[in-house]
Amino acid sequence: MRGAARPLLAALAVALAAAFIPVAAAEPATGAPRVLCGVCHPDVRVQFEQGVHFREGFDCTSCHGGNAAATTVAAAHRAPFRGTPKRRDIPALCAGCHADLAKMTPYNIPADQYALYLTSQHGLRLAKGDDKVAVCTDCHGVHEIRRKSDPKSSVFARNVPATCGRCHGAPPPGSPEGAPPVEGSPFADYQAGIHGQAFLQQANNSAPTCASCHGSHGATPPGIGDVDKVCGQCHATARGYYREGLHARAMRAGNGPECAHCHGNHRIARADVSLLDTACAACHAPDSEMLKVAGGMKALIVGAQDEIGVAHAAIDRAAAIPLYVEDYQARLEEAHTALVQASPVVHALDVRRVEQLTARARGIAKEIESEIDGKLGERWWRRVGLLLFWFYLGLTLAVLWVIRRRALEDGRR
Amino acid sequence: MTDSENPQTGRQDGRRTAILWLTRGFLSLWAVGATALGVGFLRAPSREKRPGEGLVDAGTLSSLSVGGARFLRHGSRPLFVVRVSETEVVALSAICTHLHCVLKWDDGGGRLLCPCHAGSFDRTGNVLAGPATRPLPQYRVEIRDDAIFVRT
Amino acid sequence: MAPADPTPARRSLAAWLETRFNLTEMLAFLSSFGVFPAELDTTRPFREALHDAWRRPLPSYARWPRVLGLLSFLLFLFLVTTGALLAFYYQPTESEAYRAGTAIVRDVTFGWFIHQMHRWSARLLLVMLVIRLWRFFFQGTYKAPREAVWMAAVVTFLVATQADLTGRLLTWTTTGYWTTVRALEVINALPVLGPVLMFLAGGTTPDSLFLTRFYVLHIAMLPAILLVLFYLHFNGVRRVGLSHASSESRATGETARVQMINMIILAALVFGGLVTLVTLAPTSFEPAADPALTPQGMRPPWYLLAPHAIIEMTPTMLPRWVGGLVVEAILLLIFMLPFLDTSAGRGTRERRIAVAVGIVVLAIWLVLTWQGYSLEVRR
Repeated sequence: MRGAARPLLAALAVALAAAFIPVAAAEPATGAPRVLCGVCHPDVRVQFEQGVHFREGFDCTSCHGGNAAATTVAAAHRAPFRGTPKRRDIPALCAGCHADLAKMTPYNIPADQYALYLTSQHGLRLAKGDDKVAVCTDCHGVHEIRRKSDPKSSVFARNVPATCGRCHGAPPPGSPEGAPPVEGSPFADYQAGIHGQAFLQQANNSAPTCASCHGSHGATPPGIGDVDKVCGQCHATARGYYREGLHARAMRAGNGPECAHCHGNHRIARADVSLLDTACAACHAPDSEMLKVAGGMKALIVGAQDEIGVAHAAIDRAAAIPLYVEDYQARLEEAHTALVQASPVVHALDVRRVEQLTARARGIAKEIESEIDGKLGERWWRRVGLLLFWFYLGLTLAVLWVIRRRALEDGRR
Repeated sequence: MTDSENPQTGRQDGRRTAILWLTRGFLSLWAVGATALGVGFLRAPSREKRPGEGLVDAGTLSSLSVGGARFLRHGSRPLFVVRVSETEVVALSAICTHLHCVLKWDDGGGRLLCPCHAGSFDRTGNVLAGPATRPLPQYRVEIRDDAIFVRT
Repeated sequence: MAPADPTPARRSLAAWLETRFNLTEMLAFLSSFGVFPAELDTTRPFREALHDAWRRPLPSYARWPRVLGLLSFLLFLFLVTTGALLAFYYQPTESEAYRAGTAIVRDVTFGWFIHQMHRWSARLLLVMLVIRLWRFFFQGTYKAPREAVWMAAVVTFLVATQADLTGRLLTWTTTGYWTTVRALEVINALPVLGPVLMFLAGGTTPDSLFLTRFYVLHIAMLPAILLVLFYLHFNGVRRVGLSHASSESRATGETARVQMINMIILAALVFGGLVTLVTLAPTSFEPAADPALTPQGMRPPWYLLAPHAIIEMTPTMLPRWVGGLVVEAILLLIFMLPFLDTSAGRGTRERRIAVAVGIVVLAIWLVLTWQGYSLEVRR
């Protein structure tokens, strides 16, 4: 029948066309020309397809040039094929797009990385011909370049120390799990120091990484006179006191200690009052006035700490009885706060100011102790008082009894 | 206790009276004890200052003009810090010594005025005019760098 | 105080006062509260009336078992004195109560002493009142013409328990607060009486306003009611005369003077006992109340444990106020005892049934108290 044949033919045509859909799907979704580099470089292709450049529609030829659709090696590698770029050319290669504001602004990516890089230690040395420095691919990856916000990215915040550590002291790739870092390297020191422990072990994301102090693209160790500015990003209080003190004045004059002199730069230990013994003696003569100041400040702080410890013990003793101790605990917190405030004041090198705070801490602690001792001693006095009371009451009862007897006799008369 | 109508010799009378008064004294010690207990209990607990609290921050020296004064709230005992000269600062109680009203600083006349009965005091607390007779109590001032502290 | 010829100075002062006040009436008023045991003729001048009354032989009041009444009143006086002293420092708001209490105990001189005296006196007073009721019952001191004495004693006990209850909350400690909450449960279940008391207290949850009302009840209303009850009681006793156990002879008596000395000795002994208890067994420190956290094992006060058991044992198909009604019925029966007991005389032989019933009731009350106590443990 003619009526039935037409729809039948149409259905057959659709079926045949549908058979070609899988073939058509093999083409890139954007409809761009086919990229066949992955036929010979499959592992690279897999890596590249994980990254952000692939997702934005770039292909091998964006960086390497050549002919992606060629089916022979010779055709593929024909000019303008760049091949594997030399290390010293990589920054300029990446900057071809990444320094171009017109290209970067739509993605809201800044375009200053190349300019910063050129000022960095890495960039300066590269310019001098040393190519054993970090270039873009060393930190961001070669083909598998992910966004900074991707947790798998090598420049994701939590991965930064490991990335910098690839050159600066981390265990080389292929080392067994838990292998120690290179002895004395910045990474080793960072890991051992308090910043590293906070960031790597305690997963405290507000702790600093390499980039926090050195910068990322413009990576440079802070210069003399700038160290306190870097540390002061977080340690503002200590920096404020430091700037009021003599050390800052000496630094500005050209010869004075900065944060790293006493605290270290990578292997930073928890700031403890014992630093006042060791750090000061590194520069100052044993019998100097300055060491006396340090000793004085240390004595004040340690004295206040000890006094707070004694008060704490008294509170524990009282609580065990139990006596009501909550407001003693609150006051001891006040004392503790004063002591905590005293620590950064040390940077101002002024004993009087430290003394004001430690005196307050000590005073409160002493007051608590004496009050608690008073309460504890009272119980014994109460028993003594009771004995005296019964003695006197006994006498009184005797007197009253005599009076009563007299009154009875009077009554009977 | 004796019935003095009972005929006794004078000496025995005297002894009886002595015992009587001794007994009364002995027993009245209970009253003394009870009074001491009551008074001790009712004595309002001292509002003593805690260490570190006696030191009041009175602001900076540089922000206090020469001849000017600053009012400080300090619980129930407010203060004035007055800069009498370039280097000298006095701290005065802001409570009038007449009937305990709180004084006001008169910048134009450089004196402290009392709003209750129009008394006035000069910069160092001496009485200028008015019903008050006693000068204002002064507190110790400590100046460290630019900071003024008052010891109350 | 010898009634001999006073010195001219003393005579003139007494005479001066005598012409301006009726001093005898003042002393007679004091005797309304059992302070002075003899009847005074208020029409005569003070000295003469006292002279007469002083040497009159009276039935001994400060001996067992009448001493219970005297002890109760003495303890009440201690409570009023120590309570008045405590009120100088206490602040009846939710935020300040615990702090004020701790300040009294820890910082005020002898604060702990006054506070513990108050607490121990309260405990002893309730025990005295209960023992007194039982002794009235077993000695038949509720028979005519002493019905009013019995009724006054019952109501005194009930009001004293309320005073104790209101006082417990004031410290705003954990046990105080939650014991009160449990007690309110029991009182709430009493029909008529429960809503009336809750109305006075200002609600059913102990919050700040509730605390202030409890405070007013505790320091003003309930002591005033207790004073009135004591007055009624002493007045009644003086009218009907002190009852005697059938064995005691009427002839032996002591003069009013001896009785006063007896009372002083008694007061001294009570005071000594209290001071010993206070010094050797003070209540330990307790944490502040947290209305959001119910601790384990909180029970109503001991005197409410039996009503608590009765109310909790009401079958669940009946509303709770039925249990409360049972409690109120029992209280009413106790109150009306003089009219229920129709036996002839006061002796135990004549009141065999009543005494038997009384023993059974005592036993049941003890069992119910134990039951109320253990209700919490089982849960």
